[in-house]
Amino acid sequence: MSALHVVFKVAGTEYAVPAADVVQMESFTGATPVPGTPAHVAGLVQIRGRVVPVVDLRARFGLPAVEPVLDTRVVVVKQGDRVVGLLVDSAREVVAIPPEAVRPPPEIVAEQASGFVRSVAQVGGRLLLFIDCERVIGEETLQ
Amino acid sequence: MSRVDLREFVSGFLVEADELLRSASANLLAVDAAAKKGEASPRAVRELFRSLHTIKGLAAMVEVEPIVAIAHGMEAVLRAADRGGGRLSGAAIDELLAGAKAIEQRVRALAEGKAVPAPPARLLDALLSLASGGPARLPAKGTELDLPAAIDAKLTPSEREQLRAGVAKGMRALRVDFVPSPARAAEGVTITTVREQVAAVAEIVKVVPVSSPRSDEAPSGLKFTLLLVTASPDEAIAEAASAAPGGLFVIAEAPAAEAAAPSPDGLEDDAWTEEAGAAEARGGGVVRVPVERLDDAMEKLSALIVTRSRLARSIAALAAQGVDVRDLRQIEAEHRRQVRDLRTSILQLRMVSAKELLSPLPLIVRGLEAATGKPVKLSIDAGRGELDKAVADRIFPAIVHLVRNAVDHGIEPPAERVAKGKPPEGRLTITCFERSSTQLELRVSDDGAGIDREAVARRAGREVPATDAALLDLVTIPGLSTREEATRTSGRGVGMDVVKRITQDLGGELLLEAPPGGGTTFTLRVPLTVTIVDAFAFGCGAQVFVVPVSMVEEILEVDPAKAAQGPARRERTHRAALLQRRGEAVPLLRLDEVFALPRSAGAALKALVVRRNGEPFAFAVDRMMGQQEIVVRPLQDPLVKTTGVAGVTDLGDGKPTLVLDLLSLSGALGGKRPEATA
Repeated sequence: MSALHVVFKVAGTEYAVPAADVVQMESFTGATPVPGTPAHVAGLVQIRGRVVPVVDLRARFGLPAVEPVLDTRVVVVKQGDRVVGLLVDSAREVVAIPPEAVRPPPEIVAEQASGFVRSVAQVGGRLLLFIDCERVIGEETLQ
Repeated sequence: MSRVDLREFVSGFLVEADELLRSASANLLAVDAAAKKGEASPRAVRELFRSLHTIKGLAAMVEVEPIVAIAHGMEAVLRAADRGGGRLSGAAIDELLAGAKAIEQRVRALAEGKAVPAPPARLLDALLSLASGGPARLPAKGTELDLPAAIDAKLTPSEREQLRAGVAKGMRALRVDFVPSPARAAEGVTITTVREQVAAVAEIVKVVPVSSPRSDEAPSGLKFTLLLVTASPDEAIAEAASAAPGGLFVIAEAPAAEAAAPSPDGLEDDAWTEEAGAAEARGGGVVRVPVERLDDAMEKLSALIVTRSRLARSIAALAAQGVDVRDLRQIEAEHRRQVRDLRTSILQLRMVSAKELLSPLPLIVRGLEAATGKPVKLSIDAGRGELDKAVADRIFPAIVHLVRNAVDHGIEPPAERVAKGKPPEGRLTITCFERSSTQLELRVSDDGAGIDREAVARRAGREVPATDAALLDLVTIPGLSTREEATRTSGRGVGMDVVKRITQDLGGELLLEAPPGGGTTFTLRVPLTVTIVDAFAFGCGAQVFVVPVSMVEEILEVDPAKAAQGPARRERTHRAALLQRRGEAVPLLRLDEVFALPRSAGAALKALVVRRNGEPFAFAVDRMMGQQEIVVRPLQDPLVKTTGVAGVTDLGDGKPTLVLDLLSLSGALGGKRPEATA
């Protein structure tokens, strides 16, 4: 039984989140900054009447910032009661991933990703990283 | 009855039962208070009986047997009390309170869709023995009542007691006849209007319908005899009752020897008056509405307000393109007025009176008295203030907490009080008034031992606070308790931090007065509504913010040359200047510096002054952008919960705009105070 996943890109690397967790995907035209929040919180956006905090994954993963472009997307994910947007470079694909393709992350990747990567999958020669949404939108900061 | 409708009945039952229980509690307390003074309270006992009777009937309809059983037991006790002239023993009052509580628990279980527990056997036994043991029938002493036999036969002992009690208080018991007729009905005079008018000048004990021979004066062959207790003159009563001359009789005026033996008639044959009472209640013009419907109306109004803001923006954009928008502007202005009126109406619908908000407190204090063994004299002055249901629901736990603390920690045990030369009974005063058109002030005040500053400081591991404001900051540190042992009523003494958080979340303020001589007063200032408020929009850095008008004391022009710059603390990015305002030195901070915003080109020329703990604080901003009504949406996600941000709003551009809480922000900046930073 393959599960559908939304695939997005951050700084050339491909990541995946279960499609069931994704509420919607929107283009990004800027967020309202909230003073006093951690650097990886891009701010607030209003999507279909709902106000959603946005986590900038580049900032979260310690990557250099870029200006938003036409491809820039906010992937809105649901985690329990929380609804949070993930700011990514692009998000275009939905891929079916068979469970047997999913592996624990190689040690070096796990270490570098400070626990944000839960597992990896090889799909048709591509390497997809599964992010740990709970950690990514959690309060603990990158060590 | 068809079972299909049961669900619908249940929701109706829940609403009704809630209200009936509330009224029952109030009446029980009234009976309790009267009993302590040795007085009977026939009226309250009868009202209690009616409440329980209705609960029983409704519960039977929705087939909730445990509630039926408890209500039935309570009803039996009340019937006996009514026969005994409206007197209840302390033990009976306690059991009735326990009964009301047991019903309440079962109603709650029903509301939550849980199984309704069986009635406590001990309670049923106690009620049964109270009812069957019969009341200690008091010697029927009192005033002779001069009544026609036909009417006298219809009076219950408690009604007689009520008439006598009025006379004993120096009033007169009167009998006045009202004869209905088509002609009078055409003039708008009916038994209903007469009841209303008479009730304004007298206490109606009973209205008895009497059949009389048909005549020109009484074409329907029916008249009503009203039995009253009053201090008003005859003419006032005759006029209120639209009585014919000579239609007014004195039943009793001065205390006399012995009264007639009470008839065995109880409440059962009271059906007519009972129905009339119910009809009256319905005619009062009150509609019960579930809160969700009000919330829904509010939600729709909120959407309308956002659309309105968008409309205004579009018109401004058109005007900027050189389009003639005079007509549109006019329509927009009218639309704005209409939306405003609508908003006022809807907000009004959501308002509950402070009186209602505070009404459960006597019951709570009674429980605390019992638990602590400290007698408390509670006085409540609720005034005429009103507040939004949502605010009321959020602030109530804070008030309850302050009341608990006052009885538990503030007020001393009677012996200790007497030793200090105070009356043994502790005093607890709760007052409430509208401080302005947007703010309500609630004060909880006790005459107890006050707060031991040294003990608080020791517990917190800090120096002894010099001011009340500093003391408040200490007692609101999460988890701090000045009591060594946990007490049953206040738990572990935690909770002042919660009180503070509740007030702050509402955009309100918590104040403390604790003079060294003893006595403690907590003051809560809260906005009357939170969802839709008037706000100032202003620009700061490249960003637009809004702040509720209710939070801002004044908007000042800032002359940078006149603001005195103090020495800067090394670790701070922002530095406070001092403004002179009417002889008061006001610390002034640039908001863009506080928020670390990209600094705008021009100098900050306006300052918003707020006042916290009586201390003024000014925030300099770039420019004011006018006042408008906004819909505040709270920010719940932990990622974006920060001090100084109360929520977000949509000003019509489809983007979130931050609603600032400058009060909390000034608190966080106001020095080394222990402020939550989350």
